[in-house]
Amino acid sequence: MSAPTPASPGSNAGRLLFSTRGRGEARGEPRTVRAVETAVLVLVGLLLAVATINDVVLRTHTNHRLNADLRTWRLYTGHAYRNLSVSQDVHTYTTRDVVCGNTSPGGPKERVQLCLTMTGPVVNGRRRAPGGWYLPPKAENLRRYRYACFGQAKEQRQCPR
Amino acid sequence: MSVAAQSALGVPRARSHRWAPALAGACALVAVAATAEIVLDGAIGHSLLIPKSPSIAGWLPNIGERLGFRVFLIAIIAFTLAYGGVLALARSFTPRAAVALIGALHLIVFAGPILLSTDVFSYIAYARMGVEHGLNPYLHGPSAISADPVFHYVGQDWKHTATAYGPLYTLLSYPLAPLGLRGALWGMKIVALLASAVTLVLTWRCARERRHDPVFAILAVGANPLYVIYTVGGAHNDLIMLALMMAAVSLTLARRDGAAAAAVTAGALVKVTVAVLLPFMFIARRSRAQLVGAAAVVAIVAVAAYAAFGVHGLDVFAALKRDAAFVSTDSFPTEIAHLFGKPGVFPIDHDLLKVALVVIVVHLLWRTWRGYDWIAASGWTLLAISVTSTWLLAWYIVWPLPLAVIARDRRLLAATLAVQAMFIVHQTAPLFVPVS
Repeated sequence: MSAPTPASPGSNAGRLLFSTRGRGEARGEPRTVRAVETAVLVLVGLLLAVATINDVVLRTHTNHRLNADLRTWRLYTGHAYRNLSVSQDVHTYTTRDVVCGNTSPGGPKERVQLCLTMTGPVVNGRRRAPGGWYLPPKAENLRRYRYACFGQAKEQRQCPR
Repeated sequence: MSVAAQSALGVPRARSHRWAPALAGACALVAVAATAEIVLDGAIGHSLLIPKSPSIAGWLPNIGERLGFRVFLIAIIAFTLAYGGVLALARSFTPRAAVALIGALHLIVFAGPILLSTDVFSYIAYARMGVEHGLNPYLHGPSAISADPVFHYVGQDWKHTATAYGPLYTLLSYPLAPLGLRGALWGMKIVALLASAVTLVLTWRCARERRHDPVFAILAVGANPLYVIYTVGGAHNDLIMLALMMAAVSLTLARRDGAAAAAVTAGALVKVTVAVLLPFMFIARRSRAQLVGAAAVVAIVAVAAYAAFGVHGLDVFAALKRDAAFVSTDSFPTEIAHLFGKPGVFPIDHDLLKVALVVIVVHLLWRTWRGYDWIAASGWTLLAISVTSTWLLAWYIVWPLPLAVIARDRRLLAATLAVQAMFIVHQTAPLFVPVS
């Protein structure tokens, strides 16, 4: 039972707006209301719990895919660099990722970068890299900076010229 | 009533199981060790979890490695499990032992670097904008002071964003601005520590007033992993809001309605969210003094804010509206959207969430009108705000906790802890498949 906070004797004169209050529940919480509330809380709790577990599994799958992307880039280029950047398709939410990394040793994005597009399922810890492009040093992966597109990226005109 | 509560109220303590104190001590040690691990690794330097910061924790022993997701997640899971044990065995803690545990956790975090958030640098940037550069933080983002040393440390997403905090907080932060970057950072950490101490003292007092176990109450708040690591660790100004919120509750329980309404209004002028307590307080007490207290604080702060910031400092709801449009990957609406195969939340979802929140608040107001505990109703509202928010951060789900431990409806505490547990579970994905 959730009792109301007792009003101070001195505050009676200052009571505003309402001179009476619901008396039916002041001393006893209605059981049906509490039961309905508890049922709704349990249902909402279950929904949140299922959504949370589902999201953890989704994120785990995404990390699995990102690892395959990074492994594939290292395999194709022969460079075991750690500082690679991965962009995901945040517009149409496909599993097409782009991995970019330096073509020679240096800090992140300090050298000419080679970007590979990654598509398809993870097979033996790797994905398909059907195309890509180059970026000048210190440039972000934006269409205006891309050059020397190859493979599928060239067919899809991913480079400005 | 638990043994600790009996002790606090002058009732002789009963004997508990022999193994319980040892197990409780072990849980406390795990919590302290996990916190120390996070802080010591964090002190080594910037990582994905530790924001770039002036070196303030360089005096800590240089052991371990930079804090990465794996160590952090294992430590936070260990801390959470230990916290569960501490709560289950709260009867084994004497008041002194509980205070010692909470004090140790707070001091470890205080001694270390800023954890998991760049917000404190935004606070300092806004203060320095006003004091050192003569700029209005309600009109400009930190990018307006890009030559200032603090600008380098402000989070990327917030460099162009004007302050979202209330004018009272902005004015309170001004005296720290002339202390330099490190001085201001330590100042922010001290303020966070003191605000947490005030919150816990008032939580103790309110729990005792309501015949709850005060030891359990302060352990549930002060040894909570989200409270210690994320909120105190990040020196968040939410702690000032919580201290004022608990001051309002304590004053209401002491039947000082005017001062209580003034305190919660002051809290709302630090961070506007806490204003949700006001209607529940009014309905529960219905005192003219409440209106007078709230109006007096609004008038005083409004005059000061107008003098300092012009009309822009008075529109505390504009920033709230702006933040409500943000979306974070940890928010429950985003998780539910993913569950139903949607890539994220859309404008229609924002509208539906607002409707859901209004329905919940109206129901709680009706329940309070019918005699339901106003403290519990306020706590449910804060919990509903964090669950329906598309922009959820760890310290937001700490808001209802001090109310939950003193509320007469124990479902609130169970729901708050369950939501916090789900938040922590949601963080664990990198543990299963780390990105290499």
